[in-house]
Amino acid sequence: MVGAGYVPGINAVAMGTALAAGRLGWEVVGIRDGFDGLLYPERYPDGGLLTLSPDLVANLDPTAAGLLGQSSRVDPFHVRQVNDEMVEEVDMSDLLLSRLQAEDVDAVISVVGVRGLSILYKLHRKGLNAVCVPRSIENDIAATMVSFGFNSALSFTIEMLDRVRQAAQSARKVAVVEVLGEQAGWIALQAGIAVCADAVLIPEIPCDLQAVAARLNDKVTPRRPYGLVVVAEGAKFVDDAKPQEKPSSLKASLSPLATGDASEHVIHRSGQAAETVASRLQLLMAEETFPLVLGPWVRGGAPTAVDRQLALGYGAGAVRAVNAGLYGTMVAFVPPDIKFVPLAEAINKVRTVPIDGEFVQIALSLGIFLGREL
Amino acid sequence: MSNQPDDQSAPTGIVLNIQRYCSHDGPGIRTNVFLKGCSLRCKWCGNPESIARKPEIAYDPKLCAGKKECGLCLEPPFPEGAFYVVEGAEDDKVKVNWHLAADCDEALASLCPTKALEMFGQTMTVDQVLDEVEKDASFYRNTGGGITLSGGECLLQPDFSAALLAEAHSRGFNTAIETAGNVPWSFMEKVLGHVDTMLHDHKLTVPERHKKWIGASNTRILENFQRAYETFPDIDFIARTPLIPGINADEEHIRAVLAFVRPYKNVIDYELLPYHRFGLGKYELLGEVYELDDYKTPSAELVAHLQAIIDEAFGRSGQEPGGAE
Repeated sequence: MVGAGYVPGINAVAMGTALAAGRLGWEVVGIRDGFDGLLYPERYPDGGLLTLSPDLVANLDPTAAGLLGQSSRVDPFHVRQVNDEMVEEVDMSDLLLSRLQAEDVDAVISVVGVRGLSILYKLHRKGLNAVCVPRSIENDIAATMVSFGFNSALSFTIEMLDRVRQAAQSARKVAVVEVLGEQAGWIALQAGIAVCADAVLIPEIPCDLQAVAARLNDKVTPRRPYGLVVVAEGAKFVDDAKPQEKPSSLKASLSPLATGDASEHVIHRSGQAAETVASRLQLLMAEETFPLVLGPWVRGGAPTAVDRQLALGYGAGAVRAVNAGLYGTMVAFVPPDIKFVPLAEAINKVRTVPIDGEFVQIALSLGIFLGREL
Repeated sequence: MSNQPDDQSAPTGIVLNIQRYCSHDGPGIRTNVFLKGCSLRCKWCGNPESIARKPEIAYDPKLCAGKKECGLCLEPPFPEGAFYVVEGAEDDKVKVNWHLAADCDEALASLCPTKALEMFGQTMTVDQVLDEVEKDASFYRNTGGGITLSGGECLLQPDFSAALLAEAHSRGFNTAIETAGNVPWSFMEKVLGHVDTMLHDHKLTVPERHKKWIGASNTRILENFQRAYETFPDIDFIARTPLIPGINADEEHIRAVLAFVRPYKNVIDYELLPYHRFGLGKYELLGEVYELDDYKTPSAELVAHLQAIIDEAFGRSGQEPGGAE
């Protein structure tokens, strides 16, 4: 089963799972579109389950779009339905478990992100034999050093930042580029290091834009009349004169389960971090700034070599966990090993950038300003 | 408000909130009673706590004493993983895993000593609600005000709403409801016999767009409204549109609504609700105002232009339409 949101490498997980399971003589089926293939089989003329036969996966392109499709919502405890034209959320978890039983499914390997881990944990507590594979563009899942999808997003972000730098250079302006990273600044920091950005602003280090402007004023000279600032979408500001946004307050104060994901009730403001930083820097600097947003651009495309290997390894690792009966776990890369960590240890945590960590030190050594003096 | 109804045989409803001294939802000074449960899912909804029909747990981090001082919710009987503290965070306030906390009930919420955890929604009887409403009876008499049922969608609790409004009438209060109309006609019919004023939303005109942005088609809604206008000639109907630029804040929608309502003399007005007014203080309480306000607030010029179209249709003197820019 694949959770919501496309991440490069999903097919490779299916390949790894099917190949490893095939060697054990198991039959593997994929559930189409999250859990929809089981909950709404009538929507699928060819059936809601897809047998991942050796023939199928042998010819599967690991770089193509997800074989099993996607669902925007994968929470069987709160499934939105329209009955008699009235919308409501219903708990279909019992139906899901009974259908899995009816299909003789012994265990479910789920490719999920942060939210999906909690849902699978809840299903596991209800009796589902679940093993999770972590996928995250932002690499914010705890208990694993890396989730698949991150490396692909990082690589594309770096490529785009290189192009933005050239654009800024030719236009003689300061580019402010917003990249993914609502809670964790890994993409901003690692991409910023790779392109030697002038400043990188991440959620873990609330930034002082006056200090950022002062540093840029030093670096942007007639001989080098341009600048590059990388800002994570969740960047925070020390003065918060103009807070970036507070969709999180809605998430924090109210139950998003009343409505499904809170995001559906908040009109997202992608690009606001770049807008805020660019407009405020422009007031503090002589140079012209311009905001750019990479946003969802980096979610698509083919997986990098790293992600292909990781996804195949996670898929095969999940089969090992099932074979060992290690249910309620998440496959994790804890160098140099693939390990299986209890879901309870993976949820309720965010893998953020440690301020005293190596990447921050590298950035500082390269002269990259991180929003305030450290 | 007490937590449990005294008389178990009386009609009960799930009440989200009772808000006194309201002046925008019907004539005079009013008390708005917000019932829980909605049959639509407007993407811009500012009251998500009103959507689910059953009471649900809510968390106010400002009231949380933190792990060091309290930490009760981090241990049983609270569900494992439902509440947690982020190591290394600026404070030790509890965070909520909503997926796991959703099963918490009132008994668990009541264990929170600082009331950071509380239930949105409680079961109340007609008398319990009207005891609250009664407190401002003198205002109602002096201003022609009374009680307004809102939500969520108050018509999703038709028996309770009908009983509540009938009793309000018997106490001499003016009665009004705020509805989006997406209920079976039998629900609406049951309540409208006890209503003086019906404020009703025309959110979007085109059924497909209505379904996309609001979750369900508007075909039955419009049928209900039309039937209500015809069946209840003595009710004052006031049409409303929450104006969301880029979604419905355009002439085409306003004119379509006018074409729908103007043939009926008992539709006495058509009000525009610029986006930031939506929520009537709820945003402020939750610190949400600026977020939606900043994003898409209809300009004063646009609102004036659309209002002029309405004024003209209702034969009121106002500025001539056509000067939006």
